[in-house]
Amino acid sequence: MVGIAIGVASITTILTLGGGASSIVSKQVDALGGNIAVVRPGAASDSSLQDLTKLSASQHFAASTLTETDAKTVANVANVTAVAPMMILTGAVKADSTAPNTTSIIATTPALEDIINLQIQDGQFLDPALSENTVVIGPQLSVDIFGTESSIGKMLTIKGKEFTVIGVLKRQNDPINYNNVDFDNSVIINENSGRTLNQGALQVQQINVKSDSVAHLNQVIIDINKTLLKNHQGEADFTVLSGDKISQPTSNLFTAIAATTTSIAAISLLVGGIGIMNIMLVSVAERTREIGIRKALGASNGDIVAQFLIESLALSVGGGIGGYIIGYVLAFGISSFLPFFPIFTWEIAAVAVIVSVFIGTLFGMYPALRAAKKDPINALRQYD
Amino acid sequence: MEGMDKLMTEPVIVLKDLRKRFGIGDAEHYAIDGIDLTIHKGEFIAIMGPSGCGKTTLLNVLGLLDTKIEGDYELEGHPVGSLSARRQASIRSNQIGFIFQSFNLVSRLNVVENVALPLVYKGVSNLNRLKQASAILNTFHLGEREYYMPHQLSGGQTQRVAIARALVNNPSIILADEPTGNLDSHASHIIMEELSDLHQRGNTIIMVTHNPRLTTYASRVITMLDGKIDTDTAIQEEAKESAPKIPLGQPAKVSKQDRQSKKRRKNKRGKGTRG
Repeated sequence: MVGIAIGVASITTILTLGGGASSIVSKQVDALGGNIAVVRPGAASDSSLQDLTKLSASQHFAASTLTETDAKTVANVANVTAVAPMMILTGAVKADSTAPNTTSIIATTPALEDIINLQIQDGQFLDPALSENTVVIGPQLSVDIFGTESSIGKMLTIKGKEFTVIGVLKRQNDPINYNNVDFDNSVIINENSGRTLNQGALQVQQINVKSDSVAHLNQVIIDINKTLLKNHQGEADFTVLSGDKISQPTSNLFTAIAATTTSIAAISLLVGGIGIMNIMLVSVAERTREIGIRKALGASNGDIVAQFLIESLALSVGGGIGGYIIGYVLAFGISSFLPFFPIFTWEIAAVAVIVSVFIGTLFGMYPALRAAKKDPINALRQYD
Repeated sequence: MEGMDKLMTEPVIVLKDLRKRFGIGDAEHYAIDGIDLTIHKGEFIAIMGPSGCGKTTLLNVLGLLDTKIEGDYELEGHPVGSLSARRQASIRSNQIGFIFQSFNLVSRLNVVENVALPLVYKGVSNLNRLKQASAILNTFHLGEREYYMPHQLSGGQTQRVAIARALVNNPSIILADEPTGNLDSHASHIIMEELSDLHQRGNTIIMVTHNPRLTTYASRVITMLDGKIDTDTAIQEEAKESAPKIPLGQPAKVSKQDRQSKKRRKNKRGKGTRG
């Protein structure tokens, strides 16, 4: 019963937190108005299970298959109004103090502001009219390296090169998003500066595309696929995503939580099921005489099976309900360390109930059948 | 026997060359070794015999608890061997009532729930089950003990609860396996009066016993020996009254007295409980 409770608690936690995480991303996508497509390197993966278990951050060690040329080609596709390639670099960001290693350096075009609807708190976004050595930084990064959120006009160095801060982003508190970047903790630089910092060449991790209307988005995606296939010599080593597909959870953190809790859930459900089977076998052995009496009084084998199945179901569903409540509390507990809230839907409660009913039936069936098979005469002879 | 056939109505149980084997190979042993028996509606049969002669096995076969038999067993005209397990369970539920030597109440259920147990398998609703069980307990003067647990009752009370349970679904046949085996002579007496009362109301009763005194209540006494029927004696009512009771420590007049006291109790029914 405890095993079932732990299992169902894990399932509840994982589903609610997962729901919370993906709803944040899908809300972002919805907020953008449904005319955004994203081009990512790598072929599309078929199953969502792979998404759950593979390491999502390919940006640090795998060479991207997208290039700046691709970004330019996409910009020429009909009905595309804006294109923003995102190139993520790593390197030391320094000012009064050094920024953490996790700081993302994003080289992009000014169009990014419009496409993903970035809010500026102070100053302005990148502008082609301004010097190339200007940057926009996230509020948390600003606090980390300058000690304040008001850092307009201050200087910082990236990989030894000096830049002037011209804007500070509004705090988003949103480390999980489809851009795979925590904007609160990032510094955004111009495409050209990025190229200079990265020995003259850039790898594109993602190309954000905006079409002129929702109705044209599908056609735009098809066209992008066609033109990029030409660029890539017919090899489909890129993926064009839109809508919900963008919002598939991308966070490493979420992936880790999901993988761990899934395995805990599976193990504890198995252990819990075997526990229930043991309890039921003991109960059947203890009540052999009662089984004999019931059979003598007219119980059919089916009646006996039903009686013991209902008992094991009561155990497992009881554990399941307990587990759902524990999972509910646990999800809120965990979410206090995370930037999003768990989301509870009736589907999750239904999954909890179905899982516990399934386990109860599966592991209760053998003891129940054993009870039903008992010979009434021998059963009546058992010492009470 | 022919005379009885005319008196009695249709046969309830017909056994033809019934055999029941235990063990295989050189351990093979026939607990019942060729029994032919016809039992009519309304008979009160006492089966006697030494230990190991197959009495209990015969009762288990009659009660459909043991169906791995050789030979023919017809229950109310239907051969039993070809019935499915489910159908056999339904016959046990509807036509047969069991009374055991060791009472066999379910110890974690209270008295009224125990009595209501057979009705569960007839699909009676919970409220009706308890109502019927309660009604039958009242006729056994156990109304005040409905919510006692079995271990809180005396042996005689427990056995009366067990009889109430056997009767709650109006079975046509009552099988009693040494119903007084665990009781003292006073409690045995009350139980036998109850059974005798049931017999007079037209129930068929088949009772296994070790105690020759109890055969005085029966209308027919069968003695078994080594899996076979040794003697089969019908006892006429007149003979029953005049024949000397088998002396076993107590003279026959005790029984007569009890019958009178029973009549008195009958008149007092509803006023209180006894036992």
